[in-house]
Amino acid sequence: MYDYTIIGAGIIGSLIARELSKYDLKVLVLEKENDVANVQTRANSAIVHSGHDPKHGTLKAQLSVLGNSLYEDLEKELNISILRTGAFVCAHGPKEEKVLDKLYENAQLNQVKDVHFLNRKEAVEQEPNLNDDITKVLSLPTTKVCFPWEVAFFALENAIINGVELKTNQEVMEILSLDNHYAIKANSGSIYQSKNVINAAGVYTDDIKNLLNDDADFTITPRKGEYFVLDKSAKGTISHVLYPNPSEKGKGVLITPQVHGNILLGPTSEWTSDKNSISTSQAGLNFVRENAQYLAKNIPFDLIIRSFAGVRSTSTYGDFYIKESLKHKGFYHVAGIDSPGITAAPAIAQYLVKEIIKLDLPIKKSFNPILKKKIVFKDLTAEEKAKKHQENPLYGRIICKCEHITEQEIVDAIHGPLGSDTIKGIKKRARAGSGLCQGGYCESLVLKIIARETNKPLNQVNYDQVGTPILGKETKESL
Amino acid sequence: MKKQYDITIIGGGAAGLSAAIEAYDPKINILVIERDKLFGGILNQCIHNGFGLHVFKEELTGPEYAHKLIDQFLEKKIDYVLDTTVLDIKKKDDFVITATNIEQGPMRIISKTVILTSGSYERSRGQISIPGDRPKGVMTAGSAQRYLNIDGYLVGQNVFILGSGDIGLIMARRMTLEGANVLGVAELMPHSNGLTRNVVQCLHDFNIPLYLSHTIKDIKGTESLESVTIQEVDENYKFIEGTEKTFLVDTLLLSVGLIPDVKLFESLKLNIDSITKSAYVNQKLEASIPGLFVCGNALHVHDLVDDVTIESRKAGISARSYALRKTHVESLSKAITFDQNIRYIVPQTIDFNQLDTELDLAFRTSKKIQRATFIVEQSNQIIKKVRATYIVPAEMQKIKLQPKDFVSNEAIHVYIEEA
Repeated sequence: MYDYTIIGAGIIGSLIARELSKYDLKVLVLEKENDVANVQTRANSAIVHSGHDPKHGTLKAQLSVLGNSLYEDLEKELNISILRTGAFVCAHGPKEEKVLDKLYENAQLNQVKDVHFLNRKEAVEQEPNLNDDITKVLSLPTTKVCFPWEVAFFALENAIINGVELKTNQEVMEILSLDNHYAIKANSGSIYQSKNVINAAGVYTDDIKNLLNDDADFTITPRKGEYFVLDKSAKGTISHVLYPNPSEKGKGVLITPQVHGNILLGPTSEWTSDKNSISTSQAGLNFVRENAQYLAKNIPFDLIIRSFAGVRSTSTYGDFYIKESLKHKGFYHVAGIDSPGITAAPAIAQYLVKEIIKLDLPIKKSFNPILKKKIVFKDLTAEEKAKKHQENPLYGRIICKCEHITEQEIVDAIHGPLGSDTIKGIKKRARAGSGLCQGGYCESLVLKIIARETNKPLNQVNYDQVGTPILGKETKESL
Repeated sequence: MKKQYDITIIGGGAAGLSAAIEAYDPKINILVIERDKLFGGILNQCIHNGFGLHVFKEELTGPEYAHKLIDQFLEKKIDYVLDTTVLDIKKKDDFVITATNIEQGPMRIISKTVILTSGSYERSRGQISIPGDRPKGVMTAGSAQRYLNIDGYLVGQNVFILGSGDIGLIMARRMTLEGANVLGVAELMPHSNGLTRNVVQCLHDFNIPLYLSHTIKDIKGTESLESVTIQEVDENYKFIEGTEKTFLVDTLLLSVGLIPDVKLFESLKLNIDSITKSAYVNQKLEASIPGLFVCGNALHVHDLVDDVTIESRKAGISARSYALRKTHVESLSKAITFDQNIRYIVPQTIDFNQLDTELDLAFRTSKKIQRATFIVEQSNQIIKKVRATYIVPAEMQKIKLQPKDFVSNEAIHVYIEEA
């Protein structure tokens, strides 16, 4: 019997797991995917917003401002990557400047720090490639960028070290409300008994709600966003997060520098009926291309290395829905977590545990908030590199030549508390295949390392989900 | 291995080995750095024949061609390291190369000259922004070739190929021979991007349809690829309504172009040709930084490995003369200009202070031309005329110039007169 079962191992579920791992509780995380942070968390803008935008008085406003400051703690404790970019909300002419005034007022009410206006000249000094028609910007210095996959991974890895259990490939099919506990049946056939359940299933939170026959008043109306990724050689073209003014023309295509030097363009924002649809479209990508130029000039479109789409779990409720079910005691919904969900994530976890669950337990003595820093070999000093290579010669061999990822980093990504044995899992953890050639060179090498480290035949190494091997039939019998 | 060299060659494929063999001189120290565990580069996975007719006067497979080069190279007792990746090249007085391998870890090598022969990489799905789902089963043709010919695995059973580059054509035949069904090849352009012989021998001979002026409209598949839809395009590359065709396939191979792999230029401030996406070089294959030579597919994408060898031999000779040279040669470089029928010319410049041997202008046209005359002008005089027929962008053209052909030290202009 578990004390708490969290459904969903995205950034929200992972941070809740970490929050609960502080206490002497038996906690389980169930994930329907083959890996953590595989749906909404893996496809978004990665921005830790200042909290200027959500309307004052909403939960979104409260938790995004708090969440932004909690990222400072996550950086210290989990050693996550943070890029302190600051942000500009851009206005083209007097009409849009009026909207900036309103945003400024809202940001003040939300107690966002250091918000100020810059005239065109001042803004261009800091951001030389700003679009020529931008007349004024609202500068938000506390805006920063994280690497959401990593935040989820590290939080969950830390939670696992502190006793939480994770089970992947467990799609929840049935939830029975029994006396004093719940029975959760997964597609694997396993049944998990838990006193409390936290529904953090992202775009599927309403499906989970329906399994329980609960009448919580939210439904997910998913919105798709399409993006372009520019290679990290584009680094420096734009150094702030650039937001358009909320107007008919802009519709929210942003330019966002990323922690690894890449630049993201996007997203679009289209309602979709299909929660699983992460396909891109010609129209969507053209829209991104066009609108990005409304914010900046000299965008190096020739450095596009990838396009992707993600689905946001916008709900009919209008704000974050973080409540206990009225009908089912001990069943908690954390739903409708769309933008600024990444920002608010650490605050959502705290809010749920402190304000909603009202957990009143002492922090266990064995709780260790610190996650040892992951070794990114290329970021070490020459002395550290020499030392690490002495300890472990595999740091000497480069596997991903675009991103300078060594064989030992791949091995580390395979093993470890939250290891992976898929090509995509390794890409997420170690960045092998994230560069200019998009795995053209290193994929076959990574595949062989996975096979070696996990004792699998080459054609049983999956690309992502179970049943997606890269290699098919062996053509020649081996001798 | 020493800490200091006269010539360091980065890459031990066809270009690197050819350059090394030719640069050899008992008076100088040469090092070849190869990132793979074997020499030969991409030749090792090109198990089809058709290589070597010009250089070795016989038809060879890729691995055979590589072996001939490797044997010649090893005879010279030139220093080399395998399984070693170069991370960075900086230019101070000499070149400072940072490389790494398992035995030594990160190391620095000082070199008077560098020949960069890092080859090319394949353009990926992301770079051409094909819309649709992103399932498993979409990969570059070269990756599939490596998995099949080196590792011995087919990547799928029902295959569609986008792009009629040579690797895609070769893979259409290769996968068919291994029992896969290749349903077709789509090419955005109204003409094939591969060599004519490959279109005939790899597609026509196996009844594999080639859809010219077609491209991918959509990709479907939640986890693994389920189907691709192609559609015809007009002369402005806009889709023509009602021309969609859907193929149920588990594999989509991309053969949509090679790009010189010049990541190692990052720390060097070089003049770059926006068309070839590699260094601006003079006829000695020397980049805008003295002592840096670039050749093979790292400089521009070649049709034939024989051409890579011929070009790289020149780079080897140039690097050797540079290394042996006692006095500095002032450059007198003039950029070659050309008309709109030409996409690019390599070399991009001629250094008139180093005009001691014949030189080759290698170029591609921007369109198909039946019959034409290539004309080279200098100081308003025609200094060379070459007639050619059946000129296609997929096939590299060449003009040979002798030092005596030049009438001045002024820039040359190249143009095409259609017949």
